[in-house]
Amino acid sequence: MYTKTIGIEIHVELKTNTKIYSNSINGYGKTANSNVNVVDLGYPGTLPTLNDAVIRTALKAAIILNCDINKRMHFDRKNYFYPDLPKGYQITQAETPIGVNGYVDIDVNGETKRIRIHDIHIEEDTCKSIHYKHHSFLDFNRAGVPLVEIVTEADMHSAEEAMAYVEKLRELFLYADISDCKIEEGSMRCDVNISISKTDELGVRAEIKNIGSISSVGKAINREAARQEELLENGKEVTFATYRYDEKKDETIMMRVKEAGNDYRYFPEPDIPFVELDDEIIKEVTESIPMLASERRKIYVQRGISELNANKIIQNRDISDYLNNFLDTDINLVQASNLLLGDISAYLNKEEKSIFNTKLDTNKFIDVVNKLDKGEINSKVFKDILVDLMEKEDSVDEIISSKGIKIISDPEELKKIVLTILENNQNSVNDYKNGNERAIKFLMGQIMKETKGSANPELVNKLLEEELKK
Amino acid sequence: MSDSLTREEVLHVARLARIKLTEEEIEKYSHQLKTLMDDVDKIKEVKLNSEERVITPTEEVTVCREDVAGEMLDPEEIMINVPNSNGNFVEVPVMIDE
Amino acid sequence: MSKYLDLGIKELHNKLVNKEIKPKDLVLEAFERIEANQDLNAFITLDKEGAIKRAEELENVESDSLYYGIPIAIKDNIVTKGLRTTCASHILDNFYPIYDATIIETIKNNNMIIIGKTNMDEFAMGSTSQTSYFGAPKNPWNKTKVSGGSSGGSAVCVSAGLVPFALGSDTGGSIRQPSSYCGIVGMKPTYGRVSRYGLIAFGSSLDQIGPMTKTVYDNALLLNLISGHDDKDLTSSRKPVDDYTRLIGKPIDGLKIGVPKFFMSEIVSDEVKSKVEEIIKLLEDNGAQIEYIDIDYIENAVTLYQIIAMGEASSNLARFDGIKYGFSKKDPEGIDDLYESTRGEGFGEEVKRRIMVGSYLLSGDNAKIYYNKALQIRNGIRESFLKAFEKYDLIIGPNATTTAYNLGEGLDDPLKTFLDDILVIPVNMAGLPGMNVPIGFGKDKLPIGLQIIGDEFEEAKMYQLASFIEEKLNLDLDPFKEVK
Repeated sequence: MYTKTIGIEIHVELKTNTKIYSNSINGYGKTANSNVNVVDLGYPGTLPTLNDAVIRTALKAAIILNCDINKRMHFDRKNYFYPDLPKGYQITQAETPIGVNGYVDIDVNGETKRIRIHDIHIEEDTCKSIHYKHHSFLDFNRAGVPLVEIVTEADMHSAEEAMAYVEKLRELFLYADISDCKIEEGSMRCDVNISISKTDELGVRAEIKNIGSISSVGKAINREAARQEELLENGKEVTFATYRYDEKKDETIMMRVKEAGNDYRYFPEPDIPFVELDDEIIKEVTESIPMLASERRKIYVQRGISELNANKIIQNRDISDYLNNFLDTDINLVQASNLLLGDISAYLNKEEKSIFNTKLDTNKFIDVVNKLDKGEINSKVFKDILVDLMEKEDSVDEIISSKGIKIISDPEELKKIVLTILENNQNSVNDYKNGNERAIKFLMGQIMKETKGSANPELVNKLLEEELKK
Repeated sequence: MSDSLTREEVLHVARLARIKLTEEEIEKYSHQLKTLMDDVDKIKEVKLNSEERVITPTEEVTVCREDVAGEMLDPEEIMINVPNSNGNFVEVPVMIDE
Repeated sequence: MSKYLDLGIKELHNKLVNKEIKPKDLVLEAFERIEANQDLNAFITLDKEGAIKRAEELENVESDSLYYGIPIAIKDNIVTKGLRTTCASHILDNFYPIYDATIIETIKNNNMIIIGKTNMDEFAMGSTSQTSYFGAPKNPWNKTKVSGGSSGGSAVCVSAGLVPFALGSDTGGSIRQPSSYCGIVGMKPTYGRVSRYGLIAFGSSLDQIGPMTKTVYDNALLLNLISGHDDKDLTSSRKPVDDYTRLIGKPIDGLKIGVPKFFMSEIVSDEVKSKVEEIIKLLEDNGAQIEYIDIDYIENAVTLYQIIAMGEASSNLARFDGIKYGFSKKDPEGIDDLYESTRGEGFGEEVKRRIMVGSYLLSGDNAKIYYNKALQIRNGIRESFLKAFEKYDLIIGPNATTTAYNLGEGLDDPLKTFLDDILVIPVNMAGLPGMNVPIGFGKDKLPIGLQIIGDEFEEAKMYQLASFIEEKLNLDLDPFKEVK
């Protein structure tokens, strides 16, 4: 039986306004070569500056990953020739990464496992290149975008653990506002190192670069492990090489054989003097860390939300932030979360909007949740008024009345309707009296039909029970 | 000890530096590079009085820049100096091992 | 021929303010002189049209700056927007920068007029300016001799009075050594005193821009102008800028001066040594205290320089790849050919040699054996110098072991160029300021210079001593005196 041994390197683009070593805009979706200055192009004579937000964001990441912080750090040059590398070297951190010796706890099959972080370091992204026939086309908008790279120890032993680690890291960074962590769009990139062995001695590893999604991380690991196993079983050897994972073919494809000791000619960057991180900045950054996903999840479950729904909320940062506005109010949080995950999310997805860009302010939300909770409106009414709630400034009451929806909460008026329905549905009344409790649902439905859904359901229920027991 | 590098050794350092050499240059450099390499070997004999390093001879520490965008170039301005451009892009022969 | 350019900045300023002369007069005079001395090959690129246009524009501008209307020559490794900047290399021989170096902005904001870009060793690698793609400049004192380097063009330009104010750069003596060979005043300021933004990097931790002039006073005035913090250069100092003229003319009695024994050892020629000894005597006679001292590792400085400067250069010059700017191999066979042919054809012999050795010194385990150890020894040199300055105000010695030698000499000896700089390199290792002041002539009337080394940011004190020597010796430093 072979054991898999897995280490993961993840590059994450930091959410900042400007690039790491220059003050051009950090954003590369736009027109090619429009967010570029002479520093990004590696023009002769240019020098790097250092973006304060990059240091703070990377420091936050190092703190979240429980790392020891290098309080006096410098940068290093990694030298290699490639057209996407404008200076012919990448300014990175090799000797003094901002954080070392950290860890992340993951949950797999109900058990908690600790994955050690070797280091987290700061570096710059390269240009984006597009290939067409015999040429490549370079867009320097991405050159100099700030990255952190997080390197684990080889602590994972299954596809599930690897996926749980990536998901956990994504969740941490998303909630700490470090990155938008969009794997599909390249703002989070996973490289997986995997080897298999029957003994304590590790096997030859393969590196699978730039895997396109979290589920592919799992698939690629299993596929590569199977490939290695087949090789070993047939008396062949695994080649120390770099691969990519082809999702459609479910296949790992070799890109290049690794030369022994890739010669990056590292040396300390002389253009950037030491960066000192004093206790004050560490304290400031620590205090700036928002409530992270695991704590949110815990609170949601404590407040009665199912674990399934709590996870669904966590998956949508905006919804979670919105819900957190109500943690200190006395509204029914379960009711609130059901609305947010149900009709509201459906609306937001359809409209491609964030809840923060709607007219559903916190007062309106409290009002509508309370009305549902007290039965003053039912879910059908909620559906009817949803679009107006999201798009109009009006209060909940104003929206309800403008829709011509009248909630009948007058017991006298309702009683008349109840009695009429009971009279016209003697069969159901008899069924109920013979012990068929479900008959009451049918009667309820008839009343709602009669009132076009405007009857206060709680009151109708009460009246029905009273009358039927007579 | 030979006073010249072998042809392979010269080609190896030329490759490290991405420099194509003519036959004449390979010949010339095989001796000159060896002279320089032997000369810097003197450093091996030097006794250190401290492990401290000077990376850059300044007492300054880095003062970071605020995260505020400055001026950027127009793509046309960039292309003025680009030997091979194609629209807004910089063009190169196809990059292998992407 | 008018002779306004024989005057200093202050005198020119007064005449410009009085409207006795116009900026254009100075520009035209400079070009007259340049055109009459084309054989010196001091310039790579001249901007006659631009300079005249600027001079005419300035006629309608208030002469509020001391530097208003003063012409200046710029070493061709400092980028000038729209004005060809070649680094004396084929790889940049058609390169027109799209931005200005910070000090060029300062010069332009102060309404100085840039006359042209001066000749130099290719990428500042050399000690004679003979590695220039555009041919070597010639020493005005004897046109069969080298100018020194790498700022040879600037030294020639000032010495011959073509444009008496110039900027150079100094990585391992490249301002001081040609200043010594050409008999002018040259200052390499403290590392970090002048912004490097826009100086095409050779050895990033060593490079520093500095002024080259006929007189000590003008030199201090130019340093006043170009010094100061720059947000675009993280290594530039935040220390307030001094008035570097403030001690000029002050007596030197009581100054404590150290002379490293190594500077007066057998590596220095007799004529240079005896000239320096004369100066030592002069200083002692005027109340200075001179002591011979030891600086740790000073004899290893050349080796450190080879490792650090070539290592940094191999990385700094990696950006020249034919992709974004500069010479590019036509119709390359592929990406590797684009790199290797562009660099193989674009760089000259010395540059290729240094890049290859630099790459080798950083590869694999060598980074630790050579580079890391060099940084450690470098700390030893710096500490030792800083300790000496606790006791001494200044340190002196020669700048060059000999006077200027014959053009064509030593080109195939890869070590000669480093050994030429054996006395000037330690200063760059320590990050200290160092300067040249002329102290006389050797045989065949070739200039000899004194090196003055100061503590960090103590340039004012160096000018004090230099001005004292300048005044006492009152040398005639016009190389064409006899010709005229």
